[in-house]
Amino acid sequence: VTIHLSIVLFLPLATGLFGAVLPREQVRWAVLAGTVVVLAYVIAMLVDFDPAGGLQYVTDDEWISELGIRYSLGVDGINLFMIALTAVAWVPCTLVAAFGPQDRPRLFFFNLALAETAVLGAFMAQDLALFIVFFDLMLVPFYFLIGGWGTGDRVRATTKFVIYTLSGSLLMLAAAIALGVLATPDGGSISFSLADLQQRGIPEGSQHWIVLLFALAFFVKAPLFPLHGWVPDTYRATSIPVLALLSGVLSKVGVYGFLRIVLPIMPEGAQHWQELFIILAVFSILYGSVLAFSQDNIRLVLAYSSIAQLGFIVLGIFAIQGNGAQGALLQMLNHGLVVVPLFLIVGMIALRAGGSESLAELGGMAFRAPVLAALFLVISFATLAMPGSGNFIGEILILFGTFQDKLVYGLVASAGVVLAAVYMIRLYQGTMHGRVGALVESREIDRVNLAAIAPLVAVVIALGLYPHFVLHRTERDATQAIAGARQAGSAQEVSAIR
Amino acid sequence: VSATSYGWLILCFPLAGTLIVALGWRVLPGRLPGWIATSAIFLAFLSSIGALVDLLDHSEEDRQLVDTAWTYASTGNFKAGLSILVDPLSVFMCLVVSGVSFLIHLYSVAYMGGDRGYARYFSYLNFFVFSMLLLVLAGNFVILIIGWAFVGAASYLLISYWYRRQTAVAAGIKAFVINVIGDVGLVVAAFLILDKTGSLDLLPVFAQAGDTFARNDGTLVAACLLLLVRAFAKSAQLPLHTWLPDAMEGPTPVSALIHAATMVTAGVYLIARMHPLFEQAPAAADVGAIIGCATLLFAGTVALAVTDLKRVIAYSTISQIGYMVMGVSIAAYGAGLFHLMTHAFFKALLFMGAGSVIGAMAGVQDMDRMGGFRRAMPFTFVTFTIGALALAGFPLTAGFFSKDEILAFELNRGGGYAVLGILGYVGAFLTAFYAFRMVFRVFYGDPVPEAVELEGGHIAHGEPMNPMTGEAEDTEVGFPGPEHHVAERAWPMKSAMGSLALLSIAGGYLAVPGISDVIEKFLEPTFKDSRFHGTAPTDGAEVLGLVAGAVVAILAIGLAWWVYVREPGTATRIRERFPRVHGFLVNKWYFDELYEAMFVRPVATFGGFGRRVIETDFVQGTIVGGATGIVRVGTSFARAIQTGYLRAYALLLLVGVAGLTLYFLINSS
Repeated sequence: VTIHLSIVLFLPLATGLFGAVLPREQVRWAVLAGTVVVLAYVIAMLVDFDPAGGLQYVTDDEWISELGIRYSLGVDGINLFMIALTAVAWVPCTLVAAFGPQDRPRLFFFNLALAETAVLGAFMAQDLALFIVFFDLMLVPFYFLIGGWGTGDRVRATTKFVIYTLSGSLLMLAAAIALGVLATPDGGSISFSLADLQQRGIPEGSQHWIVLLFALAFFVKAPLFPLHGWVPDTYRATSIPVLALLSGVLSKVGVYGFLRIVLPIMPEGAQHWQELFIILAVFSILYGSVLAFSQDNIRLVLAYSSIAQLGFIVLGIFAIQGNGAQGALLQMLNHGLVVVPLFLIVGMIALRAGGSESLAELGGMAFRAPVLAALFLVISFATLAMPGSGNFIGEILILFGTFQDKLVYGLVASAGVVLAAVYMIRLYQGTMHGRVGALVESREIDRVNLAAIAPLVAVVIALGLYPHFVLHRTERDATQAIAGARQAGSAQEVSAIR
Repeated sequence: VSATSYGWLILCFPLAGTLIVALGWRVLPGRLPGWIATSAIFLAFLSSIGALVDLLDHSEEDRQLVDTAWTYASTGNFKAGLSILVDPLSVFMCLVVSGVSFLIHLYSVAYMGGDRGYARYFSYLNFFVFSMLLLVLAGNFVILIIGWAFVGAASYLLISYWYRRQTAVAAGIKAFVINVIGDVGLVVAAFLILDKTGSLDLLPVFAQAGDTFARNDGTLVAACLLLLVRAFAKSAQLPLHTWLPDAMEGPTPVSALIHAATMVTAGVYLIARMHPLFEQAPAAADVGAIIGCATLLFAGTVALAVTDLKRVIAYSTISQIGYMVMGVSIAAYGAGLFHLMTHAFFKALLFMGAGSVIGAMAGVQDMDRMGGFRRAMPFTFVTFTIGALALAGFPLTAGFFSKDEILAFELNRGGGYAVLGILGYVGAFLTAFYAFRMVFRVFYGDPVPEAVELEGGHIAHGEPMNPMTGEAEDTEVGFPGPEHHVAERAWPMKSAMGSLALLSIAGGYLAVPGISDVIEKFLEPTFKDSRFHGTAPTDGAEVLGLVAGAVVAILAIGLAWWVYVREPGTATRIRERFPRVHGFLVNKWYFDELYEAMFVRPVATFGGFGRRVIETDFVQGTIVGGATGIVRVGTSFARAIQTGYLRAYALLLLVGVAGLTLYFLINSS
């Protein structure tokens, strides 16, 4: 039992609270320093992590014993890189926000710090109730960040965002309570510990609807078609650094929940809905890609491309096969790593086009901004899963995992790979190449954004050179997470044959 | 130093060149980036020679060496190292690629001299060579896919090099997307092969192909057809050829390097490399041979009608690759690869000559506006004609020996293959005719004003404009510069073209029936497992084929001379007599229009439908509306206490969570 995770977890919140006693303009530096320390801590953890060690750095204390809720944190192959992604993403976003003009900075940076703690908590939690607490806690700072510091029609956007995610959360809460109660053996005491739940299990009939409730919550968060109604408004209204985090990191909490909670604890239930979820995923891939291709607003291009990318991740998870799960985990990391710089670049583009984010008005920006164009190019290539990037390994593993048992769905999903090339190149050309837009002023990347983006690009390139760094650390736990559901699948097949 | 170390060196030099030029773009002065890039490729060429020498030291049995740098990605049954395969085939390809690339780099040093994006150009060009070498050295399917994608990316970057031209941008995305379609084919093929053989490494897969798969096994045929999709997308074979003519938007040396000499022939390499699979799936191989033949005829007819000088050469490339694909598909590996090599020489030469003429024309590419450059550009005229002779298969040039060797194999196989061979001779007639159509239209006839000006010692510098659309351009970064260069006045261009002219003749003598078979012998260790090993036509049959080829070439050149020099105006008369035929050919058999109607428009229409109907009515209307409705009903109960602001709810939620947390924290301890 160590205290390390608790330190990492609450450090951002502590810096945010500490801001209350600092001068107004100093808060940002405190919070930024907090994110940097968290990142350093997490890097040390990546190095120290034992790929064969299972759950590590465990903290496990009683919290609400009456309800069987424990304060239980731990790191294994499934959440290691999600925690790393969170730590990595928060630094550049905080950095860019810190150097930008910020209305009510004390509150803004407090919310940003609180959000990091909440996301880290959701990823670290090894107790279902604790997971839900953090999952819902995430909503609060993001609500304020969108509503208070957004642009345009932010009230409408926030309303939708809250209604959608809150409905999802409530369903999940109900599902979690049911899960805890149903899993409690006669005479035993209730427990929400994930390990206990997995060991106890619940009857298959109940699994079906509980999985469905969890899936609703996670699909809203991801988002997947047709539960993405909150996306267009929210993406348009949210300020850039917050949006980068929303799209890059928050979207992963939902799909992470499948690997952490749904598949290990309710394998038969997951198996039961496999076909449906795969169809949803494949449809999201195609639908998101086509819509991304036909959007004019550059934020919305990325918004719909995220729907497609998350579709790939869900496809990999519900392929219920080792390669698919590994690919999904890798892709969750990769997608976060490319989306954060993409949105920061979108912010820079708008800044150089008199605030315009319409492809029709943009173009020709590469001209006096070769460094910006080059960084954007690398990230675009990675986003469309160009072979040689980590994203490619993620996607090929997802596809291979799907081909294994569901060849036809896999082939249909492959069309998404082609469409991704279409919308990303279109986005790149529409902003950087072609005729110079009327309002466009080609200006090189500034130092702050360079400091924020260049390291991310370096990480993306490094992952392209050595994706095994991730696969090696996730293999054991990713395979175990889906083992139960895979077994359930083959058991079903056997009984069907008989 | 072992052959594999040389293999890594072959890759390292161009990569280092890319990084030095790309990162040093601001500090490297003048033409230094060009010279750095050129030296990098020259070092890669020297390393290729090193690999060749070392390989020849090994006995024939162990001339297949694999080396892995590190585990690239490994999980479950998916196991891929960063590994290279050094064998006669890959070394042969490395020599051709790095050698020709070196000459084209040298040419570019002068040709691109006036361009404001000089360093960017050379970093892309070096990156391309690195990718191409990675492709041919790849030791497993994953690295192979990466190489393919990288050359595609480099090709995209160089097609869109003048990125402020709308036409260049459109050509870039087209090339990229068709390339990705090919990538997907390769990925699926790799899965099928991994699934059946349990390996992604090339040599183990080949070794067990015969045991794992029955002849014409369904899965294997499917995998091979997917490999053909990959090969055809890259090598611009029917029906995935439409990107290559548009790719001529790139600078001319790029057309010479990527879209003629090296990258587009990668499909031929792929089929040759995967021969153990194709031989076990003859049905797929036959498809390859038939499509190769169809492509060579199709592209030959289009090249008769197109007037853009670079696009004529582009269609000629499509057609010539058809010969190679036909060759390797019927197991004439040595012949197909031999033609790949000689084609690299003479086609790069033709593009260089075209670049020189286009320089003299201040960027104009339309042959209708050219003529009479013979006296103004004697060096370009001589070298271009040598290239055209080799392309036409004129006796004793390189193309003569290589093309006719493929056709001799076809005839020797007999049956349906003989028909393909005869059609190949028809194609050869078209080839020789359009090759000399170019020569006569550009260099003969009355000198155009630009030619007269050049004879007076001055290169024309017209207003910068887009040769395709005629739109005016400025000359900042992202457009071609205002300066133009011709071979007669730039020694780097001259020496590159001179070397290639020499190779376009001498290259043929590496394989003359009955006299030398250097190529066949050297490649033998790679192809010794071939089912068709030792079924080559006899020397006599080959000589007979050569005679037939010579007759066809001379007749066609004579006809071209009659049509364009002796009786100028004949072509116009024919065009006016058969406007529909001409329109069909000039519009390239309407493939672009077909694809626009079949793929582009439906996707765009669905996108519009999704945006207007699904998003607004279904997602926003039904789901959002429904959800908000439910919430409204729920909240109406609490209307008395509600403030009407969501903000207060969220605050309440936060306070509630905080309070609960605090309460239980205190309580629990």
